[in-house]
Amino acid sequence: MTETLLAPRSGQRRANEDPRMWPVWSRPAEPLEPLPEAATVASTSFLVMAMVCLWFILHVLVLGGLEQHRAQDRLYGEFRTQLAAATAPTGGIIPPGSPVALLRIPHLGLAQVIVEGTSAGVMLNGPGHRRDTVLPGQAGVSIVYGRARAFGASFRDLATKAVGEDLSFVTAQGTSAYRIEGVRRAGDPIPPLLKANEGRVTFVTAEGNGRLSMLSAGHVIYIDAALKSKSFTAPAGRLNAISPAEMPMASDTSAMPVLALLLGALAVATVGIVFARRRFGLVLSWVIGAPIILALAWMASDLAMYLLPNLL
Amino acid sequence: MVMNATRTRAVIFTLICGLVSAGAVGSVNASAANKDTFSKTKTVTREFDNGSSVDVVDSRDVTVRVDHTQNLRGRERVHIDWSGARPSAGRASDPYGENGLSQEYPVVVMQCRGLDDSTLSPAKQLSPKTCWTSTRQQRSQTATTRQAIWRHDLYATDADKAQKSGLDPFPDNTTCTDVASFSTHLTPFEAAGGKAYPACSGDTMPPESAVGAAFPPAELSAFTDLQGKGAVNFEVRSKTENESLGCSDKVACSIVVIPIMGLSCVDADRECRKAGRMSAGSSNFANDGVDAAVSPVYWWSASNWRNRISVPLSFGLAPDACDVLDKRPPTAFYGSELMSQAALQWSPAYCLRKDRFKFQHNRLPDDAAFVLMEKGEAAAAFVSGNRERSTDAPVGYAPTAVTGFEVSYIVDKPDNAGEVNNLKLNARLIAKLLTQSYPGSSLGAQHPGMANNPLSINLDPEFKALNPGLDSISREAAATVLSLSGSSDVIKTLGEYMVNDPEAKAFIAGDSDPWGMVINPTYKALRLPLDEWPLLDTFVPTTALECQKQNPAAYLGQIAAPVNSLRKIAEAVLDAWPNVQTKCDRASSSDPFKVGRVERQGIGSRMMLGITSMGDAERFGLHAAGLQTKSTVPIDAKFTSAAGRTFIEPTNASVQAAIESAKSLGASRAFAISQADLRKSPKAYPGSMIVYTAARLSGMSRADASKVASFIRISTTEGQKPGSGNGQLPDGYVPILKSGTTAPLFAAAQRVANEIEAQGGLPGSRGPSNTGAAVAPGVDAAAADNGTGKTSPTTPVNDPDQMALTAAHNSAPAGVMLPLIVIIALIAGLLSPATRIIARGRRR
Repeated sequence: MTETLLAPRSGQRRANEDPRMWPVWSRPAEPLEPLPEAATVASTSFLVMAMVCLWFILHVLVLGGLEQHRAQDRLYGEFRTQLAAATAPTGGIIPPGSPVALLRIPHLGLAQVIVEGTSAGVMLNGPGHRRDTVLPGQAGVSIVYGRARAFGASFRDLATKAVGEDLSFVTAQGTSAYRIEGVRRAGDPIPPLLKANEGRVTFVTAEGNGRLSMLSAGHVIYIDAALKSKSFTAPAGRLNAISPAEMPMASDTSAMPVLALLLGALAVATVGIVFARRRFGLVLSWVIGAPIILALAWMASDLAMYLLPNLL
Repeated sequence: MVMNATRTRAVIFTLICGLVSAGAVGSVNASAANKDTFSKTKTVTREFDNGSSVDVVDSRDVTVRVDHTQNLRGRERVHIDWSGARPSAGRASDPYGENGLSQEYPVVVMQCRGLDDSTLSPAKQLSPKTCWTSTRQQRSQTATTRQAIWRHDLYATDADKAQKSGLDPFPDNTTCTDVASFSTHLTPFEAAGGKAYPACSGDTMPPESAVGAAFPPAELSAFTDLQGKGAVNFEVRSKTENESLGCSDKVACSIVVIPIMGLSCVDADRECRKAGRMSAGSSNFANDGVDAAVSPVYWWSASNWRNRISVPLSFGLAPDACDVLDKRPPTAFYGSELMSQAALQWSPAYCLRKDRFKFQHNRLPDDAAFVLMEKGEAAAAFVSGNRERSTDAPVGYAPTAVTGFEVSYIVDKPDNAGEVNNLKLNARLIAKLLTQSYPGSSLGAQHPGMANNPLSINLDPEFKALNPGLDSISREAAATVLSLSGSSDVIKTLGEYMVNDPEAKAFIAGDSDPWGMVINPTYKALRLPLDEWPLLDTFVPTTALECQKQNPAAYLGQIAAPVNSLRKIAEAVLDAWPNVQTKCDRASSSDPFKVGRVERQGIGSRMMLGITSMGDAERFGLHAAGLQTKSTVPIDAKFTSAAGRTFIEPTNASVQAAIESAKSLGASRAFAISQADLRKSPKAYPGSMIVYTAARLSGMSRADASKVASFIRISTTEGQKPGSGNGQLPDGYVPILKSGTTAPLFAAAQRVANEIEAQGGLPGSRGPSNTGAAVAPGVDAAAADNGTGKTSPTTPVNDPDQMALTAAHNSAPAGVMLPLIVIIALIAGLLSPATRIIARGRRR
C-alpha cells in the first residue's frame, strides 16, 4: 500500500505528463559518450592536485593570517595577564611558545606579541625570540625572527618601510625604546660589538626578488634596532645552544609523524565520503563530510608549515 | 719530647724488622709492630659516703687497649677494646652522640684536646671542657632539685654543688635561657682558637655540632658484654674535620675512655644511689628512661671523670702540609688512586727535605695518566698494568706498591648484636650487584625480565647460604655495591675476576643461578673486562608517586649511582651512607620534588657494600669481604652453606701469594697477574694489584728523569717500611722487599730506575734512529701546541681592525616553494579540463 502511494510507478506518471512541459528535467541528456577510464582518472587527478595546491596557497596567505591573528589575540591576553600579575618571564629558561614581549612599531601600525623560540611551529603564532639571546630591553644582543610572507607575514614591511623609525618593546622589566638603524644583507658589515649596558635587537626575516617576490622569500636579511632607553640587566641562565630547527630558515621535522597520521585521516575521511554518498546521497554526505575534511585539511596544512622554512 | 722518643724508637724498631725479617708475613689487619699500641689498667670505683665512712660499693680493674695511636689522620679509625668493665644494660642500637645516652653502665669514648699530664701548662691539659660532644644534651644538664644528682657527687667541688654551676659567672638570660628554680650545670666547650661556648643550647655550641653536620657523631657510649669486655672502632677527627676541637700535628689530643660506674654519692640521696633499672646485657630498643646515676649523661661529673683512662694521640701532617711548608713547584705524578694513602705519607718525606724534589700525587684514571705521561705533560704515571703505547717512546714500569681493592662493607647483625665482621662474597654475587640485577624495591621489580629476582642481596638464597643469620629486610642500598663511575684498573681487575669465575661467567652470559635469578637483560652478555663499568639500564618504572612522576629517571641507575673516587666510596661505607639517589624531598608542599641521596643508615640495620682501595679501607678500619677463589660445588646445584668453597680475605699473606703468581713479561713491560693463575693458588687474594711508576725511557728532560728515578729508588726502599710516619708505608700495602716473594718486583724497580735515569731508550734497542724518533714527537707536539696556541686568538673574528661581514644565508625552499605551488595549481587546473576535451575530441 504505502509503496504505491509514495512511489508511483514511473511508467504511470510519465504517461500522464507531457514530456515537452519539462524540457530541462525530463529531456534525457544528450547521450554523452563515456570518457575512457584513463582520461577520467587523469583529469580528476589534475583537478584534485590543483585544488590541494590552491587550498595550501589560500591557507598560507589568507587563512593562516586569520589563525595568526587569533593566536596573537590569545597571546596578548595571556601576556597582559602575566604583566599584571608580574609573572611574565625575565630570563632563564622559558618554555617555547610562551609570550615574552610586546613589539609595537607605530609607523607600520604593527603590534605583535613575541613568543619564545624560533622553530617553524612556534612562529605560526607570532614572531619568535631566539632562545639563546637576551630578551628585548636587556643589555646585549637580542634576536627576533619574523615571517616574511606566510601566516600574517608580520615582518613583511620591516625592511622596506620601517628603517629609521622608532619602536618599543614591553617586557616584564618595563618598556624599552629602540630605533631601527638599518637593514643588513649578505656582505654588509656587522655592527660593532656592544659596550656594557648597551642593547640591540636584530630582527631576522627574509625577502625575495624577481617577479614572484610577492610569494618568495629566499634571502635572509637582518634589521638592527639600537636601544635608546636604559637597558635592563639580563638574568643569568639562558640557554647556550639551540636546536638546528631554531636556526634561520630551518624547518621543524618533529611534526612529520603527526602530519602522516593526519594525511591518513584525510584519506580515510575521503573514502568515507565516497561511501556515504552512495548510501545517503550527495547533499547529506557533503553536509557531514565538508567540515571534517576542512578541519583535517586545516590541521594538515598547519603541520605542513612546520616543514617549510621558519622565516617564510 | 715523649713523642719524639717513641717515634725514634719505632723507626729503629722497623729498621731492624725490615733488615732481619725481610720476608716476614703478617696480616694487613693485625697491628704491625711499629705502631704505638696503648694499654693501661686502672681501678675504677663507685663510693657512697655513709656519714661515718666512705664505702666502696663497686670496684673494677679495667684494662684498655688501643691498636695504634701515632700519626693519625683525619677520619682514621683506631680499634679500642677493654676488659674488666661493669657489664652494661639497656643497650642502645645507636650508641653514637646523644642516641647513646639512654644506657646504663656503658663505656664512654670521646676525643679531647690536650694530654692528661698534670705537669703540662693548663692550656695543654685535657678537661671535660675540651672533650668533644655533638650535642648540648651530652654536656649540659638542667633538672629539678630532686633530680639534680650531680649536686650529691662525693668528689664534686663546692662550686659544682651549687644550684647553677659550670661557668663562672653564670651566663645571663640573654645568652642562656634558664629557669631560676632549676639546678643547672654547664660543661662549656673551649675551642682550639680560644673561644668558649657556654653550651647551654644548640645555638651556643661550636659550629661543627650543628644538626646535620658534615660528619656524624664519633663519640659514643659503648656497650660492655657480660664478661666485662667490649670493643669499638673509634674515628678520630683532625683539625680538617673539626676545627673547634683542633687536633693536629702541633696540637696533641687524647682519646678519653670513661667506664661509667655510677655517681659516687656524698649523702643518702635516693636518686644518686640508684643502681640501674635494667638487667645486664639487655637492650633498650624503645629508648626508655634509665637511671641517670649510672647513665653516660654525667660523664663530666667529678666521680666519673676521675675514673677515666686517657690515651694520648699524635696526629700526622695535614694532607696539604707540603703545599704550606714547601714553596717549590711540585713534580706531579698522575694516576691510580690506589696510591693515595701511600702518597699521603710519602710526600712529606720529599717536600720537607731540601735535597729531594717536591713529590705530588694527583689522582687520575690510569689510562688518562698514562697518555699524559707519554705526551710529556706528566713526569710519571701510576698505573696497574701494561698499556698500549700511543707513541714510539718506550716506557718503563717500575713496581712501586703492592696493594689492591677490597669489597668493604658495613653490615649489622639482627637484634642489636653488633657488626658483622666476616662476610663472604663470590664472583656471581658481585656480578649480580654490578649488573643491577637486584630490583631494589617494587619499582625495580617492574623491570621486564627481573620479576623473579630477589629485591636485594640479603634476600638472595645464594648470599644467605654463604652468610647465614642476617636479616631479611629488603633495602635499595643492598641491591648494589657502590662502585667507580670512571675508568680504573680496579674495575678492570674486578671484571677479570668475574669473567674467570665459571659461575659468574655463566650468569653474565644469561644463565640463571640455581634459584632462578637471572641477569638484568640490559647487561646480558656484557663483554668483560672493561676499564669503566657501564650504566646501561634505562628502565623508568611507572608509579603513582608524585615525586617519581615529576622526576622520571632510570631507577636502577639511581640505586647504583657510582662515584668518581675510591675515597668517596670508603667514606660512604664508613658513614654507612649509601649513595642511592632515590630520596624525595621538597622544601614545602608547594615546591616541586627533588631527588637526592638517601639518609645515613640507622645503626642496627646497616647494610652497605662498596669497592674501596686497601689503603683507604685500612685507614678507616673498614671490614673487607672474603672473595671466593675456588669452588668444588657444581655450578648449577643449589647450596645451603659455604662448604666446598674457598674465600680469601685481603691479608699480607694472601696478597703475597697473589704476587707469587705474577709473571714477568720482560723489560719495558709490567708484571702480569692473571686471574686464571690466581684461581689455582689456594691462598691468593684476587683483588691484589701492583701499582707501577710508569715513565718514558727516552725523551724526558734530565731533571725530570732523575727525579722519577730517585722517587722509584726511595719509594722502593725507605718507602716500603711499614709505619704511620712520614715516608713510611701505611697499612693496606704489602712491602716490596729485596728478598722474598717481592724480590723480582724490587729488582725490576731498580733496573727501571736506572733506565729512566739513563734516558737511552729500551736496553738492547738503543740507536740514534730510535732515540731521534722518540724525542721528535714530543718536541714537535710542544712546538705545534705553542704555535696553535698563539695563532688561534688572531682569527679574524676578534681582530678589531678587520670588519666582520654579514654572511649570506639563502633558502631555496623559501624562495621557490610558494611560486612553485601556484604554478603547479595553474597547470593542473588547466590540464584537468584539457584532458577531458582532448579525450572527447579523439572520440569524435
